[in-house]
Amino acid sequence: MQLTVDGRKIDAVAGQTVLEAARAAGIYIPALCYHPKTGKAGRCRACVVEIEGMRGLKEACAQEVRDGMVVHTDTDRVQQTRRLVVDLLLAEGHHNCISCQANGTCELQEMAYRIGVERPAFLIETEPAPLDVSSEGIVREADKCIQCGRCVLACQNHVVNEVLAFGYRGSHAAVVCDDDRPMGESSCVLCGECVQVCPVGALVLKQPREAKVRPSETVATKVTCPFCGVGCQIDLHTKDNRYVFAMAHEGQWLKQPNRGSLCVKGRFGLDFIDAPDRLRTPLVRKDGELVEASWDEALDLVAAGLKQAKDKYGPDSVGFFTSAKVTNEENYALGRLARAVIGTNNIDHCARL
Amino acid sequence: MTPELQERIEQIASRYPSRRSALLPALHLVQRESNGYVDGAQLAAVAELIGVPVSEAFGVQSYYTMFERRPVGKFHLQVDTNIPAMLAGAEEIVAQLERSLDIRVGETTPDGLFTLSTVECLASCGTCPVIQVNDGYYESMTPQRTDALIASLRRGVLPDLPVQANFGSVCNVLLKRRGTPNATSLAVYRQTGGYRALPIALAKKPAEIVAEVKASNIRGRGGAGFPAGVKWSFLAKNTGKPTYLICNADEGEPGTFKDRQIMEYDPHLLIEGMTIAGYAIGANLGFIYIRGEFAWIAAILEKAIAEARQAGMLGRDILGRGFDYDLVVHVGAGAYVCGEETALIESLEGKRGNPRLKPPFPAVVGLYGCPTIVNNVETLASVPFIVEHGAAAFMHIGTANNFGPKIFGISGHVRRPGTYEYPLGTPLATLLDAAGGVDGRLKAVIVGGLSVPILTAAEAEGLIMDYDSCLKSGTMLGSGGIMVMNESTSIPRVALRAIRFYAHESCGQCTPCRQGSHTVATLLDKVVAGRGTLADLDLVVRLCRTIKGTTLCPTGEAFATPIEAMVTKFRDEFAALVR
Ligand SMILES: Cc1cc2nc3c(=O)[nH]c(=O)nc-3n(C[C@H](O)[C@H](O)[C@H](O)COP(=O)(O)O)c2cc1C
Ligand code: SF4
Ligand code: SF4
Ligand code: SF4
Ligand code: FES
Repeated sequence: MQLTVDGRKIDAVAGQTVLEAARAAGIYIPALCYHPKTGKAGRCRACVVEIEGMRGLKEACAQEVRDGMVVHTDTDRVQQTRRLVVDLLLAEGHHNCISCQANGTCELQEMAYRIGVERPAFLIETEPAPLDVSSEGIVREADKCIQCGRCVLACQNHVVNEVLAFGYRGSHAAVVCDDDRPMGESSCVLCGECVQVCPVGALVLKQPREAKVRPSETVATKVTCPFCGVGCQIDLHTKDNRYVFAMAHEGQWLKQPNRGSLCVKGRFGLDFIDAPDRLRTPLVRKDGELVEASWDEALDLVAAGLKQAKDKYGPDSVGFFTSAKVTNEENYALGRLARAVIGTNNIDHCARL
Repeated sequence: MTPELQERIEQIASRYPSRRSALLPALHLVQRESNGYVDGAQLAAVAELIGVPVSEAFGVQSYYTMFERRPVGKFHLQVDTNIPAMLAGAEEIVAQLERSLDIRVGETTPDGLFTLSTVECLASCGTCPVIQVNDGYYESMTPQRTDALIASLRRGVLPDLPVQANFGSVCNVLLKRRGTPNATSLAVYRQTGGYRALPIALAKKPAEIVAEVKASNIRGRGGAGFPAGVKWSFLAKNTGKPTYLICNADEGEPGTFKDRQIMEYDPHLLIEGMTIAGYAIGANLGFIYIRGEFAWIAAILEKAIAEARQAGMLGRDILGRGFDYDLVVHVGAGAYVCGEETALIESLEGKRGNPRLKPPFPAVVGLYGCPTIVNNVETLASVPFIVEHGAAAFMHIGTANNFGPKIFGISGHVRRPGTYEYPLGTPLATLLDAAGGVDGRLKAVIVGGLSVPILTAAEAEGLIMDYDSCLKSGTMLGSGGIMVMNESTSIPRVALRAIRFYAHESCGQCTPCRQGSHTVATLLDKVVAGRGTLADLDLVVRLCRTIKGTTLCPTGEAFATPIEAMVTKFRDEFAALVR
């Protein structure tokens, strides 16, 4: 089907929203509360457009396309609303992009830039709210929160950890952890999904923040998480070829095994990559000391040891213990080694412990 | 939590199709049983029992103003300071209480006896000032009555302070039994012509009732004036899901105290109306969502429902006609926005009262995802008359396109504030006369609850009180809550109090309402305090104009429209305050 956006004909498929169709066609419509993983929310009002035949402003994020629909994003009404939304959000959030972790990747900053807001039209004096640094991996800066609700929906519905919710109401409404306690004392399991979806600098990862590296400076490389067999697709963020942080890969998220999310291991467990004490070669014990060895030397030693044990004490004197960190194929290969080569059924897996 | 308490919560939960709906009643119950507040541990226990995450339970608890998380005094004095109360001198009552209790608003006396709070409109506009003490109302409070109240409470006694409320009716439909003793009882209701419409309705097909209501052209009395029969015909059919009827008894619009007259004095009229409406739309279960502050009126309703059930007017096989129908009274917990129908549905589902995106409309996807009709108390209470006397008789009252009787609540600077039932289309002047006339010289009037544009005395000249005429005159009939202001009234102070109300009540979901109401409140606060500038006034007007139409629910408009009207129509008065 086709619709017209600002005089341009674009293709769309049934079930798509105006926002999705416009984005697919490269037309800019700001959207601060909508996220593909959390869906429409109707909260931010940044995305409103005018649609011929419908009264008033309509949320592009919630409006389903219809064939022949005529959409306007360039009317005074729409422009004024966008400006209003940005002005109101900037009025008392103590937004200071200079020092913000989200600078360069922030969707509010992007929106302000795109619609040409150079400075907020007005400021409301308030005391800054304290940071929540209680969590091991996440820093929360309530002032910058634009109440989009993505983190709440993600935590409640996407990863179903049910930690984050909106508490209070009106201008006091705030994202809370459990019964409004510091994140570090809450039931948060540190999956980091909230950081993943937060459009601004209100929820950021602690380690890069402390290391003074912003997401805008890193390069993302798609990798498979090494921790288990699910095969989560990770965007490994590096700077100068060094690991900085991990985000779930969100491209075609519905087709990824991890649906654009991670667990605590994938999110925070990859810092071993550049660890100085990381094992880089096999170690072989010589005269009671572990010394570096080549793979050939180490494997020969293991093979000889296994053979010796089998010959002397029988195949069942040998046991194998494998890991969730390797692939199914690798686990299968080890099974074959145990059963066909050594001749034992003594093989088990760490996930059973 | 004690096993008894658990058992009682289970009992409440069993009344609802979904367990989560028991969250609000459970929190009320636990709060009442534990010195007026629910702490974190108790909240976690309730959350576990109902089966919701602690985070969501906290979100609910902290959304509603009536839920306390910290200890309060044995007597919680809550003074309504909204516009009608302000016009009746509530601020002096607050000052008096601060003096005599030696605490400030928000504080508790050291002996733990009193906590003093100010609250939003308690729907006692005709009998203001009003102080809510724990679950009960003390109305028509003068300095003397306030002293008497405090003296009695110090002795540990909730006194009985009788109230003389004014009322009048020329239609005798909705306020017919207002002066009749014991009209809340089934026997008196019957003796005075009650339960005559129900058998007539049950003898007809549901579609015939819908047609009759449609033919009467009755427009919803909740504020928007949408034709009730048309709404009923929008119901999604053959969905395989149950259909629900909800009566909106939230009565939160400042200046509105009409639904209360029906529920408090003629509950069976509402029950009969809801039973007929339920039959017409194919519902077997109806809910009355009543504001939390009206818990004592909810008790009157519960009693009447029990009586009706006993008499076979509710429950299984009503009047032997094979129609099963029952009613559940659901008590809110302090949230104006829960009067908005989708927020109400969320609240009834045990959630924060956040309005939903529309479409879908409740008639298609409503309570528990099922087709649902939400109607106001007054709308539903008009149904028995339409069924008994016919659409033509209903249309005999009122003016074209604006038929039927209407309860007008008149408050502020009139000599006999109260509720008056007149035909739609009655001149404002007639209503003001009925209310004893303006006390002093009329300066301005708000005729449809706080959310409609204010009228100057000149604009109010010749105003006809019906939906279309009000619209033509640049305002709205809304809920029919008329607030009269004489020349002693400071409009800037009225505007500041009004926007504080909306900022306090905004659900906080969407940017223009949450931040906008807060920003406008901050700006008007500056102006009234003499620290503002003309630029601040211009910004207020600009914000109001831009906010209109941008919000998720009509609340944005509900504050932007009246504030803009106040600032533009009385600009000189505001300008005189700037520095
Ligand atoms: C902020 C807000 C508050 C409302 N409060 C009430 C209320 O207290 N009582 C009511 O009946 N309708 C209220 N309404 C209107 C309802 O959404 C709904 O239109 C009404 O209950 C429908 O009933 P009716 O068609 O019989 O008028 C409110 C609407 C808004 C936007
Ligand atoms: S959250 Fe965005 S707009 Fe706010 S300071 Fe950070 S980068 Fe700037
Ligand atoms: S913390 Fe971030 S994701 Fe959560 S509501 Fe605030 S801005 Fe949105
Ligand atoms: S307009 Fe106000 S009350 Fe309505 S959804 Fe938005 S924030 Fe909530
Ligand atoms: S993206 Fe549509 S309202 Fe926020």
